[in-house]
Amino acid sequence: MTDELEEPLALVTDVVGDRAGEWDRGGRLPEEEVRWLGAKGLLCAQIPPEFGGRGFSSEENGRLTAHTGRLCSSLRSLMTSQGMAAWTVERFGSGAQQGRYLSQLTSGSLTGVAFSEPAAGSDLSAISTRISAEGDTVLIEGQKVWVTGAAYADLLVVFGRYGEGAAAAVVPTDAAGVAVRPIPDPLGCRAAGHADVSFDGVRIPADSLLGGAGLPIEWLVTSALTYGRLSVAWGCVGILQACLSAAAGHAAVREQSGRRLVDHQLVARHLAELLVAEQAAVRCCEHASRCWDRGIPMATSAVLTKHFAATNAARGAASAVQVLGSAGARDGETVARAYRDAKVMEIIEGSSEISQLLLSEHAVSVWS
Amino acid sequence: MNASVNETTGTPAAEQVRTTMLEFLEERTRQPVEADTDLFASGLVSSMFAMELLVHLERSFGVAVAGPDLKLDNFRTVEAMTELVLRLRGGADD
Ligand SMILES: Cc1cc2nc3c(=O)[nH]c(=O)nc-3n(C[C@H](O)[C@H](O)[C@H](O)COP(=O)(O)OP(=O)(O)OC[C@H]3O[C@@H](n4cnc5c(N)ncnc54)[C@H](O)[C@@H]3O)c2cc1C
Repeated sequence: MTDELEEPLALVTDVVGDRAGEWDRGGRLPEEEVRWLGAKGLLCAQIPPEFGGRGFSSEENGRLTAHTGRLCSSLRSLMTSQGMAAWTVERFGSGAQQGRYLSQLTSGSLTGVAFSEPAAGSDLSAISTRISAEGDTVLIEGQKVWVTGAAYADLLVVFGRYGEGAAAAVVPTDAAGVAVRPIPDPLGCRAAGHADVSFDGVRIPADSLLGGAGLPIEWLVTSALTYGRLSVAWGCVGILQACLSAAAGHAAVREQSGRRLVDHQLVARHLAELLVAEQAAVRCCEHASRCWDRGIPMATSAVLTKHFAATNAARGAASAVQVLGSAGARDGETVARAYRDAKVMEIIEGSSEISQLLLSEHAVSVWS
Repeated sequence: MNASVNETTGTPAAEQVRTTMLEFLEERTRQPVEADTDLFASGLVSSMFAMELLVHLERSFGVAVAGPDLKLDNFRTVEAMTELVLRLRGGADD
């Protein structure tokens, strides 16, 4: 570990302590402390120092993300969302917009990214939210669902139709016409503040519209999704590490039939496979992050990495629950949380099936 | 398509941008690409690839494409990308 990472990792460790299970059961993170981490630049650590960020490389940010994901996937989800919003502003915002929004995102403001709608999940081309320019204002009309972090957010990056193409706008959650309705009892990442959000005749200043307005929706969302996929993948590494630690720790001391669990070969195999999954996921993430850091095309790599990490985290978490038996079968326990959190990682940022479709297209274009 | 020819597109700087982008596209699509091929109409550039193309262009030539320059027509052909890069660099300066 580099020295630069030691302090940030310790800050996250201190904030989470042993409270992740409690937050999970209560469905709520301590907002002030999350904002404090934000003000330390840790919720979107790749933002350059000129905007108050840490200027981390993708790989450094990945290590921070995995560390956070190992402790608490809800907090890690907020990190993913904040990073996606920040990257979208960095990618598409003007200099003035970058200055305005990025400095907020590194000083305690919280944010979420809104793509999904009641009729637009896997198929984002079905988005019907309208963003239109009207004089010196922008009008937003539509409904978003399942926006991670929206229950805490001050700002939302909202994607919608714009003319013949699409656009993204930065919308304050306290603007007139914005209604945020938290989703009760999500299956996983329960404290991440998921909410449905409606925009009813919301009027905001014209300079809230990010650049690239009019581009096809796929162009606009690919940047955010690529960041998000890599972040989710690193988060899944964290889930695997938490599972490995819990399962190995338990199997090394718990005895049944006169032997430690690890001395039963069927149990030992679970540990071996968890180790393989964790190591392979780390290598995939490192590769994709290093490509990101060098400007090497990696959109497909990000899909592959997310798909690999999420499916392995879901399988690994299921094995970890198996190894712990009843000791892992209570809500709030590390492996029980991991089991639920990992499952939703197979649904978001391009479900496993959508990832497979994208990867199969790539396979044909490269290997046929 | 719509690649208006101006006096900068024949310079060595333009040639370098054009060659770099053509090589990148041919390597990635494994198809022959001409400077005036419509990359979107021909289906050569998927939406996932489009952002990579943008990043490659920015990295290779040290430019940042933002605001009104982020529009489809600037990426439709290698010729259009070449003009964009030259303009962002402030003309045929090198
Ligand atoms: C915990 C959580 C957090 C989320 N956070 C956010 C957020 O921050 N912002 C946001 O905008 N959205 C968010 N979402 C929404 C998420 O992006 C969508 O759930 C996801 O895109 C899938 O869409 P859907 O749920 O409508 O499922 P659907 O698209 O209806 O898919 C249902 C099933 O069908 C499969 N399927 C769909 N289409 C195809 C196809 N063409 N081929 C094969 N299989 C297919 C899917 O893979 C899936 O298994 C979140 C969701 C969850 C659960």
